[in-house]
Amino acid sequence: MVYTRKHPALLIMGLVLLAIGWLAGSGNLKDLTAYLGTARLLGEMTTLPYVFGTVALVVGLWHQFGSHKPGQLDYYLSTVAGGTFILLIAMIVRWFLDPWVAVMSKAMGPVLADKFLHDVLGLNYIVLGIATGMIVVNVFKIPDWAENGVRLSRLGLKTGVVLLGTLYSLAELWQIGLLSVVMIGFFVLGSVWLVLIMGERRKIPNSMGGVLSAGVGVCGVSAAVAAAPVVQAKSTEIAYTIGTILVWGLGCMFLFPAIGHLFGMGHIQFGAWAGTGILNSAQVAGAALAFQPNGIETLKVAEIFNITRVLFLPIIVLWLAVWYVKREESEGKTSAQVSVGKVVFEKFPVFVLGFILLFALSSTGVFAPAQHYQGAYFDNKIKEDKLLSAKDLGTLAAEAGKIQRADQKAALERLVANKKLMSVEDDDTLRGVVNAKILSKDASAVLTKAHRAVRHTSKKIAMFRDFIIWLFAFGLTGLGMQITIAAIKQAGGQPLVIGGVVGTAKAVLSLIVVLLFVREAI
Amino acid sequence: MNPSRILLASHGTPGARAAEAAALALARQAGAALHQLVVVPDLWKGMLGDDWLNNAVTHIRFGGYVESQLGREIAQHIRDFEAQTIAEGLAYDHEIRQGKPVECLLATLKESGTFDLVVIGSPRPLGVPGLRSRLDLETLARRLTVRLLIVPHPES
Repeated sequence: MVYTRKHPALLIMGLVLLAIGWLAGSGNLKDLTAYLGTARLLGEMTTLPYVFGTVALVVGLWHQFGSHKPGQLDYYLSTVAGGTFILLIAMIVRWFLDPWVAVMSKAMGPVLADKFLHDVLGLNYIVLGIATGMIVVNVFKIPDWAENGVRLSRLGLKTGVVLLGTLYSLAELWQIGLLSVVMIGFFVLGSVWLVLIMGERRKIPNSMGGVLSAGVGVCGVSAAVAAAPVVQAKSTEIAYTIGTILVWGLGCMFLFPAIGHLFGMGHIQFGAWAGTGILNSAQVAGAALAFQPNGIETLKVAEIFNITRVLFLPIIVLWLAVWYVKREESEGKTSAQVSVGKVVFEKFPVFVLGFILLFALSSTGVFAPAQHYQGAYFDNKIKEDKLLSAKDLGTLAAEAGKIQRADQKAALERLVANKKLMSVEDDDTLRGVVNAKILSKDASAVLTKAHRAVRHTSKKIAMFRDFIIWLFAFGLTGLGMQITIAAIKQAGGQPLVIGGVVGTAKAVLSLIVVLLFVREAI
Repeated sequence: MNPSRILLASHGTPGARAAEAAALALARQAGAALHQLVVVPDLWKGMLGDDWLNNAVTHIRFGGYVESQLGREIAQHIRDFEAQTIAEGLAYDHEIRQGKPVECLLATLKESGTFDLVVIGSPRPLGVPGLRSRLDLETLARRLTVRLLIVPHPES
């Protein structure tokens, strides 16, 4: 079979990308980016379109004018069109649509306290990318020439998770990992058990109970897909379950970030909550990036929880398989026996090994020095012109009386005496003063200036971070193209009732646990 | 109304079974031949949803499982209905199509010989469980060139 379609679409997309790159590089987009507030992105708006535009142009020429024969080359190159299609949409959303929505939203004025509409609704490039993907598949259909490549979105997400392995310190991974095992262990096992109990009470078939408990309990659609053949689910049971999980997951992706901001949750708290409470794993990454669109800290926590969930998957599928066979046999029915080794081998998430490998490699310091892994490291050996000026010191001295806490007072005194921050602890303490809005705007600006003088972003890590964010934006936009309204509409029957009850219980209870027990310092 | 060849669109739901009973009665009365169309709705194409965690082996296994499960359910349904037509001594044949119900029905009318009556079940009443893949009656009515009989749902 020949997968490549003779179609000019890839060629055209290549030209469009090159045009964007040229416009950005030649300064023709200066006015537009100034209006949209995206002037800082002009660098990537030049480089990325040039690189991918050239690839698209070359492969597009081959698609259009080459002779195609069945084989590996044909298969892999056929995916470039779909991949470029997703990338182009992700770029347009990130560089133009997302900033434009923000400009329009700000023009409307604050709608809730001091927050604008796009903040309240979490309308950033991730959510808009998923929504655009859904519009493409449901309104226009995925074009034939792009169908094969749209599946690359899964590769994008998995690569993003693997590369994320480079950004953890051992202490972070150990502590977040431990927290995730405890929380996921409790909530996964608890919700699988609750679905099975409710299913028994409501007299649903064993096969429906099996597929629903996997979907609701572990990681949503992925778990339902893995468990359905094992528990021999009927077609309607699969459709009901997957429809229910998709509806629930999409709802959570919009609701969770809004609730997170409402409760003033920190990155670790929100990552832990989203990673536990959102049924579908794809929306965990979406919600984490919707909560913190211009940083990666929440995503780092949420993805550890996602990985823990997926590590639970083979165990839960195995448990359900054994449970199903026993239940069927006790009811006098026959069912196929389960091969333990086969289930564990097939369902094991190999990409997690890639994550562990990259984490191990980064721990050796091969990518950046150890202190750089947080993204921003502390170094106060700064030049004279970066020290606080006499005017700055005067502003701080005039408001020093507003600070009551002894540690904050001491940190401020050391700052004034040395004209620069002297330690990470002082920096953290005075960030607390800024965040709590204790001082006036001017004085807070001086503290922020002092903070910026000693906190440096590792260029290598910043590049890595940007690359990972792009991989997730690409992956999630592509996944949006695989969420069909026809599938969502199948939400119904007993799975909607049971899934609704258990999903709500999991979201609310995990929120309470996170707010009570998870602190913002790891 | 004395049809000689009836196109019955059915897929095993309670509403479709009511249509089957009506089509059988009509065919018996008029001595008509029955052609059964079973549509596998295209909603199944989107059933992998946004799964990104599983590997290709699991995807292939799931796809194969869904295909065989749907195949088993449809085969059982066709067998049951065929047995009724044999018991009645009626001429019967069937076909299976995948896609949107209206498009499939119109394609059958165009490609599978001449029909003088189409029999379908009425849409499922609100609150009755079942897959949401309805025949768009308005589109069908606009494009249909033969008579159409819509049989009321047993629970309506």
